[in-house]
Amino acid sequence: MDQQGQNGLLATYREGWRNRSVVGIAFSALLVSFYVVLYWEHKVHQHLGIAPLTAISEAAGLRNRWYLYGALYSVAMITGGIYYLRRHGNSRYNRFRITVNVAIQVALGFTLPFIMPLFGGQELYFSYFWPLKYDYLYPQTLADLPLYFALYTVVGSLLAAPVLAVLYGKRWYCSWVCGCGGLANTFGDPWRHLTSKSTKSWRFEQVSVHLVLFIAIATTFLIGLDSLIGAEHPTFHRIVVGEHWQDWSIKSFYGFTVGAILAGVIGTGLYPVFGPRVWCRNFCPMAAVLGWVQKIGRYRIKVKPGMCISCGNCSTYCEMGIDVRSYAQADESFTRASCVGCGMCAHMCPRGVLKLENTWDRSEDKERQKLSVVDF
Amino acid sequence: MVAAMRIVIIGNGVAGMEAALAVRNREPSWDITLVSEESDHFFSRTALMWVFSGQMSHRDIEPLERDAYERLGFRRVRARAIGVDTERRQVSFAGGQEPVAYDRLLIASGSRPRPGPWPGSEARGVGHFVTLQDLDWYEREVHGGTSLAGGPPRPRLHATGRSSDSPYRFREVAAERRGRLAQQPAVIGGGLIGIEAVEVAVTAGLRPHFFIREEWFWPIALDPKEALWISDRMAQHGVEVHLEHEIEALDTDSDGNVVAVRTNRGRYPSDCVVIGIGVTPNTAWLAEAGIDLDDRGGIVVDEGLQTSVTDVFAAGDCASVRWFDGTRRPEQLWYTARDQGRVAGRRLLGDAPRYDRGTWYNSVKLMDIEYTTAGLVNWKLDGEENWFFEEKGRVRSTTRIVTQGGHVVGFNMLGRRWDHSVLTRWIEERRTLDWVLRHLNDAAFDTELVPRLRVRRA
Ligand SMILES: Cc1cc2nc3c(=O)[nH]c(=O)nc-3n(C[C@H](O)[C@H](O)[C@H](O)COP(=O)(O)OP(=O)(O)OC[C@H]3O[C@@H](n4cnc5c(N)ncnc54)[C@H](O)[C@@H]3O)c2cc1C
Ligand code: SF4
Ligand code: SF4
Repeated sequence: MDQQGQNGLLATYREGWRNRSVVGIAFSALLVSFYVVLYWEHKVHQHLGIAPLTAISEAAGLRNRWYLYGALYSVAMITGGIYYLRRHGNSRYNRFRITVNVAIQVALGFTLPFIMPLFGGQELYFSYFWPLKYDYLYPQTLADLPLYFALYTVVGSLLAAPVLAVLYGKRWYCSWVCGCGGLANTFGDPWRHLTSKSTKSWRFEQVSVHLVLFIAIATTFLIGLDSLIGAEHPTFHRIVVGEHWQDWSIKSFYGFTVGAILAGVIGTGLYPVFGPRVWCRNFCPMAAVLGWVQKIGRYRIKVKPGMCISCGNCSTYCEMGIDVRSYAQADESFTRASCVGCGMCAHMCPRGVLKLENTWDRSEDKERQKLSVVDF
Repeated sequence: MVAAMRIVIIGNGVAGMEAALAVRNREPSWDITLVSEESDHFFSRTALMWVFSGQMSHRDIEPLERDAYERLGFRRVRARAIGVDTERRQVSFAGGQEPVAYDRLLIASGSRPRPGPWPGSEARGVGHFVTLQDLDWYEREVHGGTSLAGGPPRPRLHATGRSSDSPYRFREVAAERRGRLAQQPAVIGGGLIGIEAVEVAVTAGLRPHFFIREEWFWPIALDPKEALWISDRMAQHGVEVHLEHEIEALDTDSDGNVVAVRTNRGRYPSDCVVIGIGVTPNTAWLAEAGIDLDDRGGIVVDEGLQTSVTDVFAAGDCASVRWFDGTRRPEQLWYTARDQGRVAGRRLLGDAPRYDRGTWYNSVKLMDIEYTTAGLVNWKLDGEENWFFEEKGRVRSTTRIVTQGGHVVGFNMLGRRWDHSVLTRWIEERRTLDWVLRHLNDAAFDTELVPRLRVRRA
């Protein structure tokens, strides 16, 4: 039977592994070590003489450790998806969303890139766009890609993604397609209540996410410039791209800090400590862009006036750390740039106060209750 | 320029806190004191059940950040007020704490649980589910302690000056005395607090008894068909629903722990009993103050929420206000307490706003079934007619629309979400049943992808 709200009560705070207990922190440490080995196995090999992930990949008949990661990722998505559906799957929105997201990732994020080389093709990821997949707009990359895929990337990144976000909010990507978001919503679901709702964490997010976006745009710009003038300016070329791929350069710095540390080690490894959307909320440049677009688009969360009992279920289960309650108790419909439209606030609300919708009508948003908690 | 006032507010519930915020919003320098016996921080009383189940932590049910008092310059007094001297304009406290003087006073002391009238109602293992201290007691009986996120900060701070009569006192825990957690809880009283106490016991893996005096569950709001659906759902979840049971006594063992509930129909072994038979205004401490109370104990207020004494106001559960039907009684609801707090805040500032209660509405969740109501339902009006429709497809729902003299006067909806603000508007616009049925989905508030309701006209 289709329902909309949470079916039965959750026992989240009575389960230790979900609440930064020793078990939770140990699990987080394990995830962090996994990512460190994954990204820097050559260093591990240098110092300890072992390459565990490569060894396992070979034993499993996989081409390299990245395929092993893809396989583990798919398993985590699917088992996490089942966990999610068992807990929140009584609502159609949740059911459709998670199924689509897992299907897209398993098909386009793992199976297709795995199969393409078998048929002599390049490994291509149809589910990622610039600036999340930051190197897809580098001129050199574009030149090496098959023409149809180069077109797909350019049109997808610069036109389709923002237009869809105007029409449906950033959720079309962050909650229905994206691999980082998908992992957060499935494998990361047990920890969604841990995302901080404090004003401090909101301030941090506003600075950090725009900083990364700035670095992403600047890096893309410099690398583009390099393809025009790099040949005549060897120093510029060395600083921006480097002679060899392992040299320190702006390009490799971005890959190291943003791609490996922020998205992998911190973004996923710390799920059990800071909640599942650490990367999406604080660092993802794609989220920053789509967030701006979302603010001028149709998407919003509608608040039914005068019905909120300030219980806090919405804020607690918001994985992006949005204090939804502060809007609800002030009878204020709202659009927040960081909202990924996961729908969990509406699902958890025991009084049916919240509703995600796409509309140009902003009339109610203006009827704000002046005297309320959110004025402070 | 208004002279700076000393504002004292008894109660940091939603009524008291909203008033304090309204004052601070306009007067950054006024002296504001918030008195609370129950807790350091403002929290949502409506959310006790989720702390019990572990769905939220104590911090999660506090709408403000914990530095709110310091940031907003509110003076916190954590003590039990025992009287108001309206001549000398001061409030006195238990436990030898210094009295506090005021220029304008707001009483927002809320409700207290109605005590059980039966022998054994005060036994060890018997309690309520209204205050933070009740939550503490019930959690200890069933779970052996608070959930992992920890207890509220400084929960037992106000131990001095406690009285055995306070609704904020800590109860003795039968489970601790016995050395065994409660296995067979029982809940008495078929209202909203009762069903919440039952649901959390189910989440803890128990099969509680639920004793209801009436013929069906919650007759002031539901009709027999609607109530049957809820009772069935409770039974599916393992609740033993006992309708038409009159309690006679709560039996105890030689040690004083509750062991059974005795009703007119039998004896039911139970080792933990929650009495949820309603709440009454928490105003006994005002007996000597000379402020008018009505016969239910509610503080009588005018339409601007002033009591019978100048510069003393009352808001929230403890205030007896005039309802839309002309009667006078307290409104024991979160959102009315919030609205009254806002009006009272403006009174404390010296404005003259009126508290105006529009058409009645409410919404709750009964187990996992959502419920929205608006207008006059189950009022047995002269010549009223009830149009009823039951949906049994992908979505299960019931729709009941009450009409009188050709106009729609009330809605009772189970299983779907509705925007009550649209429903109340239709009532105020005196729409016909035909018109409402044609436009019904304009009031739908279902989440996306849920198929719309299609009513068949009989
Ligand atoms: C379990 C439960 C579920 C509920 N669910 C809902 C719901 O779903 N929807 C809804 O609309 N309503 C609901 N309610 C009712 C709602 O919570 C109340 O109407 C609302 O909290 C009233 O707020 P208030 O500010 O008037 O008083 P309260 O929140 O009761 O606050 C009273 C304050 O006064 C202080 N105080 C009292 N006496 C003294 C004294 N002598 N000395 C010092 N301090 C004192 C206390 O410390 C406390 O801070 C529910 C209530 C309960 C118990
Ligand atoms: S505000 Fe609601 S929809 Fe948006 S991210 Fe938070 S929980 Fe999801
Ligand atoms: S919007 Fe719903 S979940 Fe959020 S605080 Fe209000 S009643 Fe609770």
